[in-house]
Amino acid sequence: MNHAASKNLNLTLKIWRQAGPKQPGGLKTYQVSGISTDMSFLEMLDVLNQQLITSGEEPVAFDHDCREGICGTCGVVINGQAHGPDSGTTTCQLHMRRFKDGDTIVIEPWLAKAFPIVRDLIVDRSAFDRIIQAGGFVSVNTGNAPEANTTLVPHHVQQEAMNAAACIGCGACVASCKNASAMLFVSAKVSHLASLPQGQAERSKRVLNMVATMDAEHFGNCTNTGECEAACPAKIKLTNIAQLNREYMKAALFSKE
Amino acid sequence: MTDSTAQCKTGLLGCLGLNWFFRLLSSSIGQKFVMGLTGLLLCGFLVAHLAGNLLLFVGAKAFNEYAHALHSQWELLAVAEFGLVILFLAHVYLAVSTTIGNYRARRDFYVLKQSKVPGRIIGANSWMFASGSVVLGFVILHLIDLRLGLRSSLHYLPETDLEAPFKNTLAALSDPISRVVYFVGVIILGVHLSHGFSSAFQSLGLNHPKYTPLIKIIGKIFGVIIAVGFASIVVFVPGMWR
Repeated sequence: MNHAASKNLNLTLKIWRQAGPKQPGGLKTYQVSGISTDMSFLEMLDVLNQQLITSGEEPVAFDHDCREGICGTCGVVINGQAHGPDSGTTTCQLHMRRFKDGDTIVIEPWLAKAFPIVRDLIVDRSAFDRIIQAGGFVSVNTGNAPEANTTLVPHHVQQEAMNAAACIGCGACVASCKNASAMLFVSAKVSHLASLPQGQAERSKRVLNMVATMDAEHFGNCTNTGECEAACPAKIKLTNIAQLNREYMKAALFSKE
Repeated sequence: MTDSTAQCKTGLLGCLGLNWFFRLLSSSIGQKFVMGLTGLLLCGFLVAHLAGNLLLFVGAKAFNEYAHALHSQWELLAVAEFGLVILFLAHVYLAVSTTIGNYRARRDFYVLKQSKVPGRIIGANSWMFASGSVVLGFVILHLIDLRLGLRSSLHYLPETDLEAPFKNTLAALSDPISRVVYFVGVIILGVHLSHGFSSAFQSLGLNHPKYTPLIKIIGKIFGVIIAVGFASIVVFVPGMWR
C-alpha cells in the first residue's frame, strides 16, 4: 500500500463538553498532533481520547457503532456542518485528508429541543424511535417468506422506495435545519412505505400518527430551505417532504381515520 | 351509546364531527398547507392590484374611471375585502405561530453554523418571517394612508369628489415617509415572494420533476415583477403628474 500521499496534521480542536443533561456546557480547546490524513474523523477523536485518558482527563463522549456509514449512530456538527463538509457522508466516513495542517475544528453535538444532550457530543434521539413506533412499519403475518413474484412492484417504484428507505435515522436533517424539523426523516419512511403494496393497508393511519408524534415531540416546521437534503448522508430528497404533505392532506381530508 | 354521543364529550367540534378538521389545522403540515394556500391566493391579489395601479402611468382619467368602476361594485368589493382580510390574518397568524414553534424546537444555536447547500451564503428562505414583518408594517401604513384615510397631513379629497382616487393616491405617494416605506416594503415583498411562491407549491405537496424547476424560476421572476412594478409607481408617478 502506498502511503506516500499521507502526512500528519497538527490540529486545534474546540469541542463541546457537557457533563450531563442538566449541566452547563461549553467549548473546550484541545491540541492534537501527528494525526494521519488516512484516519477517519472518529479515529482522530480516539487519538484525542487516548491523550485525555493518559493525562487523567475525562474522555470526550461521542456516539458511534458500525463506523462504515451504515448505522447512523455517529453524527456531530463539524465546523457548523452536520457530518462535516462532505455531502452524502456520515461523520465516520469523513477522513482527515479533508483538513489542513494547523486547522481549527469546532465540534458540537446535534442541537434540538427534541434531541436533549446526554453528555458531550451524545444526544438522545429516542424521539425518532417514538415516531417510527407510531407508524413506521407494516403489519404482516410472520411465517415463511411469500413467493417472490406474488406481489409485483415495477422497477422504478422499487427504486423510489429504496431511495427513501436509505434513511439511516442519524438526525442530521434535524441538526442542520434552522427549525429543527424532522420532516425529511418522517417523509422518507412515509414515502418508502406508501410506494409499496405492503404499505397500503396502514397508509392513512401511518402518516397521521407519525406526523402527530413528530409534532408532539416538538420538532419544528419545514420552511423549505433544503438544508436537510444537503446534510443528509443518505441523500434523501426534498421531494419526499412534498409527498409527505400530499399523503398527510389526503389522509386528513379523505380517509376515515 | 352511539358514536356521535361519544364524540359530544369532546366539545362542539366533536359534536359536529369536526375533530379531524381541528387536528388538521393544528398539525404542522396542515398549518403550512394553509400558509401556502393563503400565500398563493394573496399573490393573485397582488397581480390584480398591480394591474390596476399601473393605470397611474396612463393618467388621472383612466385611474379615476377604474377606481369608480371598482367602487360601484361595492357588494362584490365588500366580499373581496373581507376575503382578503381573512387570507391576510390567517397568513400572519400562522407565520407567528409556526415561527414561535420553530424557535422553541431549535432552542439552542450552534457556536458555528455553515450551510451545506452548494453556493448558499444567505437566502430569502431564512428570512421569511423578517421580510414578512417588514411587508406587514408597510401594508398597515398603506391601509392607514389610502384605505382608511387616517393621515390628516395628506389633505384627502372627499370620496364624493371624482378626482379623489388619483389625487389621494398621489398625495400619499408624495409624502416622504410613505414613499420610503412603500419603496422598502415592495422591494422586501419581492424578496419574500422569490422564496414564498415556489415554497407554497412544496407545502401544498405539489412537487414534480417536470414542473418544479419551472415553478422555481417563475417564483423568482414573479418576485422581480411585483417588486419592480410597484417600485416604479413609487419612484416615477409622483414626478410625472406634479
